[in-house]
Amino acid sequence: MTGPNEIKALKLTFLVLLFFSFLAIAISPPELKAMAAPLAQLEEPPAKRIKVIVIDPGHGGLESGAKGKFGALEKDITLAVAIKLKAVIERNLALRVELTRDKDTEVSLENRAAIANNNKADLFISIHTNSSYRRNARGSETFFLSLNATDEEARRLAYLENNSAELSKPLADEDQDEIRMILWDMAQSAYLKQSQSLAEIIQDELNSLLGTMNRGIKQAPFKVLTGVACPAVLVEVAFISNPEEEKDLVKESFQSNVAEAIYRGLARYLKIAG
Amino acid sequence: MDTKRWIFLGFSAALLLILALIFFRGGGGERIKASVEMPPPAETPEPAPPAETKLITLFLPSEEDSLLHPETREIPASASVTEEAKRVVEELIKGSERGYLSPFPPETKLRQLFITREGVAYVDFSRDIMAKHLSGSSAELVTVYSVVNSLAFNFRPIKKVFILVEGEEKETLGGHINLSKAFLPLYSLNSE
Repeated sequence: MTGPNEIKALKLTFLVLLFFSFLAIAISPPELKAMAAPLAQLEEPPAKRIKVIVIDPGHGGLESGAKGKFGALEKDITLAVAIKLKAVIERNLALRVELTRDKDTEVSLENRAAIANNNKADLFISIHTNSSYRRNARGSETFFLSLNATDEEARRLAYLENNSAELSKPLADEDQDEIRMILWDMAQSAYLKQSQSLAEIIQDELNSLLGTMNRGIKQAPFKVLTGVACPAVLVEVAFISNPEEEKDLVKESFQSNVAEAIYRGLARYLKIAG
Repeated sequence: MDTKRWIFLGFSAALLLILALIFFRGGGGERIKASVEMPPPAETPEPAPPAETKLITLFLPSEEDSLLHPETREIPASASVTEEAKRVVEELIKGSERGYLSPFPPETKLRQLFITREGVAYVDFSRDIMAKHLSGSSAELVTVYSVVNSLAFNFRPIKKVFILVEGEEKETLGGHINLSKAFLPLYSLNSE
């Protein structure tokens, strides 16, 4: 026979087990946890000290980028400039500088962003030389990312950004893929303001030191910038498709000037951003 | 029944409850992906009176600046937006009649074009569009937005444009501009 004490004990056991069962379902499935990680990067980053800079020499390996009339290859010029830039930063600033490639190898665009994120980059600078259908196109410009989002999507992204707690709620399966895509797409979106000011400052230095025509700063949906979780810009130094500028681009003195100009821009940005 | 048996039964019941809850909540099983939306087959090309034409505007790059310039021309009118949109892309590939530059390698062909209910036009080009000389940010921007701006400008139902190559999604045309997302028109690239 079960006495009243035993029944009490039984009830208690049930309650405890029920509690644990709820605890078990409260723990979110692993997909949700995976999504929470990139979300942390979406919050407006605190003004932290800049310690790591990742420089991305455009193209490489079989993927040689644009080609000049006299045979200059974009991949060679971007690598030469990047190596010079790394040297001048390390000489003058107490920063760690990583390159996405330091030789003539192919690196996918997503891996370039991954290298930046894995190194906990505080700034990302991609170096390219431009190419156009117009024979006389000339000058330098600095890009930062455009999101290519409709007003509706932009509102949704802004909402998610401001209500990251929303995402810890379980989502319908069909929404999860989309949300994860958005999060990857959003890695750069939290840094657009800083990316813009970095672009402005670098463009300013290119104009004053390099003497190439000022094409200003612009926004465009560059693949390589999309997944970078820190302020990021893409510098298009002169036009390799313009024979006169191609002649400049292969000169070591010109390449050193490009590196110096970007370095000065960085140094100025560091003073502002800490 | 004795107490131990009751406790055992209680444990089993609770365990079952936990398992059931996890089973129904977790739901991590494979889900059948929603099938790709096919273009509505309803649009039958009607026998239009042969004289009917429609004035459309192409946006093409010029040697003078980095902008896209309007060039109007007439195409046969159709009741199907898809058919007219195909024609616009084909005219773009054909190139300018007024000396503007061609943003496509001349061998480029339009393979397919369809418009989803959400207003995304999928434009599928032959691999020629990825010809080597096209690499370069300015060149890629001009090629992409010549298509995007021309389609969105002429056809109200087209809100966004997704560019495919040989039926596949590509990362970029030449290493710069992201093709893995649909493009909104960027009218700031137009000269007017």
